[in-house]
Amino acid sequence: MRRLPVYLLVDVSGSMHGEPIESVKNGLQLLVAALRKDPQALETAYLSVITFGSSAQQIVPLTELSAFNMPEISAGGCTVLGEALQLVCKCRENEVTKTTAEQKGDWRPMVFILTDGVPTDDPQPGIDKFRSMKWGASVSCAAGPGADKALLDKITPECVVELASADQSTLSAFFKWVTASIVSTSKSINESGTSTGSMDQLPPPPPEVQIV
Amino acid sequence: MAKNGDKVTVRSVSGKTYEYIWKDTPSSGAMKDVYFSPDKSYVVAFFKDPQDANAIDRLQNLVGTYRQGIFGGPGGDYWKKIYCWPTDIVREGNKVAIIVPAYHKEFFFTYGSKTLDIKSGEKEGKWFTNPWHRYCNLDAREVGDWHSYFDICLLLARGVRRMHMAGLAHSDLSYKNVLVDPVSHSAAIIDIDGLVVPGKYPLDVTGTPDFIAPEVYATMHLPKSDPNRKLPNGNTDLHALAVLIYMYLLCRHPLEGKKIWDVEDEQHDKTLAFGEKAVFIEDPTNKINRYNVDWVRNNQPKSRLPYMLPWMDLDKLPYTILGPYLKDLFDRAFIQGLHNPSMRPKAFEWEDGLIQTMDLMIPCQNPNCKQKWFVFDNSASNPKCPFCGTPYKIPLPVLNLYNKANTSYKPTGMRVMVYNGTRLYQWHANPRVARNEKLTGEQKKSLACFQFHQGKWYLRNERAKGMTDLQTKQSIPAGSIVELKDGVQIRLDDENSRMIYVQMVNK
Repeated sequence: MRRLPVYLLVDVSGSMHGEPIESVKNGLQLLVAALRKDPQALETAYLSVITFGSSAQQIVPLTELSAFNMPEISAGGCTVLGEALQLVCKCRENEVTKTTAEQKGDWRPMVFILTDGVPTDDPQPGIDKFRSMKWGASVSCAAGPGADKALLDKITPECVVELASADQSTLSAFFKWVTASIVSTSKSINESGTSTGSMDQLPPPPPEVQIV
Repeated sequence: MAKNGDKVTVRSVSGKTYEYIWKDTPSSGAMKDVYFSPDKSYVVAFFKDPQDANAIDRLQNLVGTYRQGIFGGPGGDYWKKIYCWPTDIVREGNKVAIIVPAYHKEFFFTYGSKTLDIKSGEKEGKWFTNPWHRYCNLDAREVGDWHSYFDICLLLARGVRRMHMAGLAHSDLSYKNVLVDPVSHSAAIIDIDGLVVPGKYPLDVTGTPDFIAPEVYATMHLPKSDPNRKLPNGNTDLHALAVLIYMYLLCRHPLEGKKIWDVEDEQHDKTLAFGEKAVFIEDPTNKINRYNVDWVRNNQPKSRLPYMLPWMDLDKLPYTILGPYLKDLFDRAFIQGLHNPSMRPKAFEWEDGLIQTMDLMIPCQNPNCKQKWFVFDNSASNPKCPFCGTPYKIPLPVLNLYNKANTSYKPTGMRVMVYNGTRLYQWHANPRVARNEKLTGEQKKSLACFQFHQGKWYLRNERAKGMTDLQTKQSIPAGSIVELKDGVQIRLDDENSRMIYVQMVNK
């Protein structure tokens, strides 16, 4: 069975402390609950969470939805986005099965990056590494006015979305859209013709989520 | 602007009024936003995109002429259980909605799952075609037994047959557009607004992955105007129907095998495997796509193997466990007709094949067997359940049905296995009666039943008037019993009715 790997990269720097990080946790919980109700997503989607603050950490390795446990997430420190990009590439190399003559590999992973600020490390090596790989849908989300949209556009030129603020209702709308994107991809990955990298396969985002 | 919970009134193009409850976040499919009526007996489903004149014309035909044709005639009510057919159209500004009856309550989970929060969720087909879902994620009280799925498939085949008779094609048959209830043995075809009249209206769907016919997959890259581009039609419905039946009965996909066509690009690999290069995983002459147990172990998540493996073991549960009629139909669907659409079995053939196969089913004698039923294999000397391996230990009368032909009888090729509870009906006895939606109440009453008592099998005539033992010329009046022995020949009803020739096997 080809799995659909989904990597969520979440900014946990100091500026995310409080309502933003609580909203992220809440959003993640709703995302998992909604995906578990969809038989196709439940069958194919596998989820991993990578956080980046003062360091990048894979706090949940690629896990099937039925076995996913909510991780502890707390915010504090700086924003090592570059390191997070390096880490997601490394995790992909370790976790995502490549197709061989004897084994069906996984679908190209989907990546969602959520950040509210500017990286504090040098992101370029991470961006280069990230761009050297082929991903399924890759989306970065500028949560609030403090994020560097031009930089995000270099990471995921396919799609950058913007949230007016990182509050509960806006982030919840964002996670709903991520959920719908995973559900629709899990249904359409089998469809031929277009590759999963194309944005028009994702459902249109709600009004709170602006495409940049 | 309406608020959550507000009642909204709309008027349809035919002048009727409908009400729905506004929700800020309605249930939403790929094409429509769905709002419930206050009494939940129907839904108002708004298309997200504007509909052009052609589309509205098509919808108007569906809720008008075609609906009338199917539901308006005698016995039309029968189809209300099988189709969720739109009844009216609403136009609000540039928005178009259809009025659709709500799904029957058996299509919502009563228990759902012990681990997932799906109670009251819709029983979409996907939950029942993946064995990990069916036997691990769902509550055991939701999944029925193997016979449930034969009955479900029969209803689907019947639903597709009626549509095709009317000249319509569904164009997007899939486990998403079929609701099933193994507990009450029911099925309903939904999302009927996408129906197409071949040659008359343009299409807005290409189908659902896993069910798209090979010729459609193989030409998907061409523009819609290209004459070589193949679009969904009745023959692609017949591919989807065959895939659905195979998946409900065997919990695996007939084309999803081990062959990798493109190591670099998974997408392209799938396009080839389901399109141009598609090969049936159980094709006896071309084993390129066939997998074995070792391959399954390497290609399925370890935690799911206990549920996947029994079904994905093609040696232990080959499609031949479905009996000769269905084997023949699957050969035509997935071997001869896979790349040759006109050779695919028609929906009525699936209907007949399923009905005849159900007459070959006997109950497993292991009370703990999950499947509870299996198809008797005429070629095996010691019949046993293919699922749990339990041997069938009592004598098994086989009734061979013969048609009256002038002064003699001719074999029909139809057989009925006798177990405690087997019943014979009009459609067994009378060649002019078929088991379909047209059966009258009287025709649904059984003519005869069978009992196993102290090591012997007996037939009990319940209401057949002219039942006769053809060797002794003795009449078998209603209410009387007769022992079944090898070679016994019984005329089931009047002069022109069929004869059964009894064969005792497994003595």
